[in-house]
Amino acid sequence: MALIFPKSTDKYVRLGALALAVAALGGGALAMYVGLPSVIMTGYQPQQPVPYSHKLHVGDLGMDCYYCHYTADKSDHAAVPATEVCMNCHTRVKPTSPRLEKVRDSYNTGKPVEWVRVHRVPDFVFFNHQAHVTAGVSCVSCHGRVDQMVEVKQVQPLNMAFCLDCHRNPAPNIRPIDQVTNLAWKPNGDPAAIGREIIKARGINPPENCSGCHR
Amino acid sequence: MIQITKKLTGKKYWRSLDQFYQTTEFQNWINREFPSEAAEMLDEPSRRNILKLMGASFALGGLTACRRPIENILPFSKNVEGFIHGKPLYYNTVMSLGGQAVGLSVETNEFRPTKIEGNPAHPWSLGSTKSYHQASVLSLYDDSRGVGVIGDGKASNWDAFTAYVKNLQGQLGNGAGLRFLSEPIHSPSFAAVKRHAMTRFPGAKWVEYSAVQTSATAHPTVPRIAFDKAAVVVALDSDFLGLDDTSVLAVKEFSRGRKITDEANPVMNRLYAVEPQFTVTGAAADHRFRLKASEIPNFATALLGALQAQSSPLQVLGQNNASKALSAIAKDLLANRGKAVVVTGPRQSAAVHQIVHQINQALGAVGPIVTYLPATTDQTRPQLDAMKELAGEMAAGQVNTLVMLGWNPVFTAPADLSFEANLKKVANTIYLAQDADETAAVSKWVVPAAHYLESWGDAVAVDGTASIQQPTIQPLWGGRTPAEIAALVSGYKDQHAYDIVRNHWLPIAGGEKGWKKALHDGLIRNATGAATTATASTTPTFHTSAPAPTPASGFEVIFAPSWSLFDGRFANNGWLQELPDPMTKLTWDNAAFISPASATKLGVIGGDVISIERNGRKLEAAVMIQPGQADDTILLPVGYGRAKVGAIGEGTGFNAYSIRTTDGFGYGTGFNVSKTGRTYPLARTQEFEYQEEPHLVNFQEVAVRPILREGTLDQYKKNPHFAEQMVEHPPLRSLYGDYDYSKGQQWAMTIDLNSCIGCNACMVACQAENNIGVVGKEQVARGREMHWIRIDRYYSGAIEEPQAVTAPVTCMQCETAPCENVCPVAATVHSPEGLNDMVYNRCVGTRYCSNNCPYKVRRFNFLNWHSNEHEVTRMVYNPEVTVRMRGVMEKCTYCVQRIQNAKIAAKAENRRWLKDGEVNVACAQACPSDCITFGNVNDPESRVAKTKLSPRNYAMLGELNTKPRTTYLAKLRNPNPELVSAAPAAEAHHG
Repeated sequence: MALIFPKSTDKYVRLGALALAVAALGGGALAMYVGLPSVIMTGYQPQQPVPYSHKLHVGDLGMDCYYCHYTADKSDHAAVPATEVCMNCHTRVKPTSPRLEKVRDSYNTGKPVEWVRVHRVPDFVFFNHQAHVTAGVSCVSCHGRVDQMVEVKQVQPLNMAFCLDCHRNPAPNIRPIDQVTNLAWKPNGDPAAIGREIIKARGINPPENCSGCHR
Repeated sequence: MIQITKKLTGKKYWRSLDQFYQTTEFQNWINREFPSEAAEMLDEPSRRNILKLMGASFALGGLTACRRPIENILPFSKNVEGFIHGKPLYYNTVMSLGGQAVGLSVETNEFRPTKIEGNPAHPWSLGSTKSYHQASVLSLYDDSRGVGVIGDGKASNWDAFTAYVKNLQGQLGNGAGLRFLSEPIHSPSFAAVKRHAMTRFPGAKWVEYSAVQTSATAHPTVPRIAFDKAAVVVALDSDFLGLDDTSVLAVKEFSRGRKITDEANPVMNRLYAVEPQFTVTGAAADHRFRLKASEIPNFATALLGALQAQSSPLQVLGQNNASKALSAIAKDLLANRGKAVVVTGPRQSAAVHQIVHQINQALGAVGPIVTYLPATTDQTRPQLDAMKELAGEMAAGQVNTLVMLGWNPVFTAPADLSFEANLKKVANTIYLAQDADETAAVSKWVVPAAHYLESWGDAVAVDGTASIQQPTIQPLWGGRTPAEIAALVSGYKDQHAYDIVRNHWLPIAGGEKGWKKALHDGLIRNATGAATTATASTTPTFHTSAPAPTPASGFEVIFAPSWSLFDGRFANNGWLQELPDPMTKLTWDNAAFISPASATKLGVIGGDVISIERNGRKLEAAVMIQPGQADDTILLPVGYGRAKVGAIGEGTGFNAYSIRTTDGFGYGTGFNVSKTGRTYPLARTQEFEYQEEPHLVNFQEVAVRPILREGTLDQYKKNPHFAEQMVEHPPLRSLYGDYDYSKGQQWAMTIDLNSCIGCNACMVACQAENNIGVVGKEQVARGREMHWIRIDRYYSGAIEEPQAVTAPVTCMQCETAPCENVCPVAATVHSPEGLNDMVYNRCVGTRYCSNNCPYKVRRFNFLNWHSNEHEVTRMVYNPEVTVRMRGVMEKCTYCVQRIQNAKIAAKAENRRWLKDGEVNVACAQACPSDCITFGNVNDPESRVAKTKLSPRNYAMLGELNTKPRTTYLAKLRNPNPELVSAAPAAEAHHG
């Protein structure tokens, strides 16, 4: 085959390679740090269109997670509630608050409130809320103390290592099903021991093979 | 392409003529991992190209990925009853095609219909579907459907159209110049609108026309044949398992008589096929004889004579294998009197149907096996007579308004009616168009038609079972139904499809409750709760006005619907275009199929363009050589060669309608054929995925490795384990330790080759379920098609009159999978439940796995097949399955998404094991012959565990110690002993 590039380009290629090596060393160290899932994923806290406070509704008023996220034990998705659900109360409670204007607009016009997604896994991961919630994994394991958050923030990296840690050793994160939405649950005794008992009793066996989550 | 004058070499199975003659092209082909050019860069490497690619890599690898993109969640404003985000909803509906209404169950995800299944409660579906039903969901999202309302060539709207029609109504008077042209109406509510229109305009006429003939074309009474009650079936030019019938019932019933249910005392039916083309019915037959379509009437007469013991009936017949076998067939039929039936196809004239009725009377089949049902349409005239009259009236200027409600009459009307030219003499033409097709181009008003998945309607199956067609989505492009247009033109009391349908059925179904139940069940029960059905009789009537074409010298041309496009309406459906024809394995085109002897006579090879001419009408089409076809006969599937069609169907195939006339509608005689000297590329999937066969390595005929194993019923009775014993191999031991699969649920599959007819339904079902890309003709020619499940079709025996066998082949989920140990990045690994998992996000595209797969079932995304799809077309995707990118390997997963979802649902109920049948794979669910069984092999009560115990069970290439989870049940044929000893031709070419 004929030469595609003239021989004189060799010099530039060598110089370029050296420059690249230097840049790679410095850049690589930096990239490794900022690329850590714990750095890049946790702490994400976008501003929501409506200043809805989980702390007020859940922590102070004591609403249950299922009131709004009512498909968490029935489906893949934990349902961001329809505007209607907000208006169940807010037709009476603070019906004229300016902070709820977008909610009322949505209810009247039929257009959705454009919430910003906080927790997400890549498209090739098929996470299923139903499977976890019905097995006794609490909301708090992945989402943290949402009942103390004024604005929701991602507290766990939600990367594959995070998932696998629990799939390999689920006991510390398994609790009685009626305590799943009790984010402040403190058992008497070792939570892992309680978890092990539930796992044994119900035959919980989280998949560790690829097609458990990727398909 | 091959020269067919070379010397024959022979061996048991062959897939194509190239293989049969061992051409160098074929040898090169099988020695490669992927076919020629599949893996090569398409452009020559050049400085310019390399710099271009480098530039692109820098641009893409930039800093754009630093910020996390904002993603919104948009919940409903008000909740929708019964809807849970992430859970599919199912709606029962009905699809009518080619005179058959098949009840369906449609899966919708987030209100998008994504998958079609059969409705198990519907008697003409019983839970199964054909490829057309499966693929119809893609047509819903076809962006070429968005034609809008067009008036006088300019974009208009429905209001303007309504005003135009109101104005027109005043001018119509008693309707003397008004004509309606629709497809045969199987919808009772539409028929009510039609009756109203005929009362409102007593001078008007309504013509029903379908380019695809059905058995109703010859009969006003439709024969209903209970194949499960027949021990001997003779099919005379009848493709009852294939294209004669768009419902699945014949396949269901026939395969019931084909399955070995009692292994100790096996019984099977026997099928003889006498036919001009090689159909899937012929492939399933125990004895198949080729005979020209014009000789079928004589054969039927002779068979009737032989049954009635008349003197020397054979004198009318020429010398061919079919005639030689005739007396043996007659003897077999008489021996099974009361359990034997003869059927013929819609291509044959009413006279032949009459003879066949007499034969069935003589056999005592009329009544027990054959009954006649009243036609579900109220058209009593033969459709061609009505079309001829309409064309004559149009030519004479007696028609001033023509309302065209059926699909594309300009394209499908018989060529001698000059429909397009006559249409120009009609002042007001209204056309309800699926897309901007040939008829839309010459119509004054074009209005968009609604797809059956987005509109209200109803349909009656042949036995009288009525179903409501309920929409699953709002019309995507504002389409309306034929009944709505007819209601508008005639001023019917109801104007919207919902009212037309509902008000018709409300009194019959017994009010609101009955209506809701009809929608839920997918079929209408009357006030007493019984399904609506028709009364069968034993006395048929026949249309006698259309005689059979007179035999003439020259070539015969037989017309058949296309396995892909039906009558052409699916031309813009990529799934169907890419679906290989079950016998010829041709994709993206039709061709002029001729026998090897005819090809030699004409001096042509596959890909040569020939000219087919009669009475000044000429068609130039590419030749493809089809073993087993009758000599001097050209098969032309209709529907291809569309002049005006969306981007997908553009430039595919040759328009067979251009030489199809009223005097040769099913088949025509006396065609002159000549060679043009030009060639045309045809893309087949035939040689692809050729499996490794060691006996071909040194091009010598060594021992044959039986991939598909078949035997006869007698052989099976003598030695039930014959299939396992066909291969001798050393003890199978693995270098690695064996994994313990005795615990938990272990997924497995069996495929019963005895009942597979090769109909392709599984292929489209898999494509729809698993978001499989469409690659296009050029890429198919490079061997890059993506079907996860394919149907292998092997011939055996003599080239002129071979036997064929079909088998679905997909990933075998080997327990010791050869693909797994060669993957450098562990992107394909084993799951504890025995699945060979394919992890797309790990795959780096080395293609080692495919190289090492003995079954050649892995598919590589050479390009991003989904990049050019319209955003509406993307709505068809199954949200449960990843859409794969370029550079990633993929393959059958045993529908792992279905398994996982079923397991999650079961675990939520505290059940650890799924019940048998709780999860099914898409291919098995669609299969009309129920040849695929899937389930948990560790559950001894499961169907799959039981079928694995069959003595016919064998592992394809099991001697490689791959331990496949998918195994096959060997095919059995039930030949007539008299014919086996008399004609050993089928076995003559053993290697």
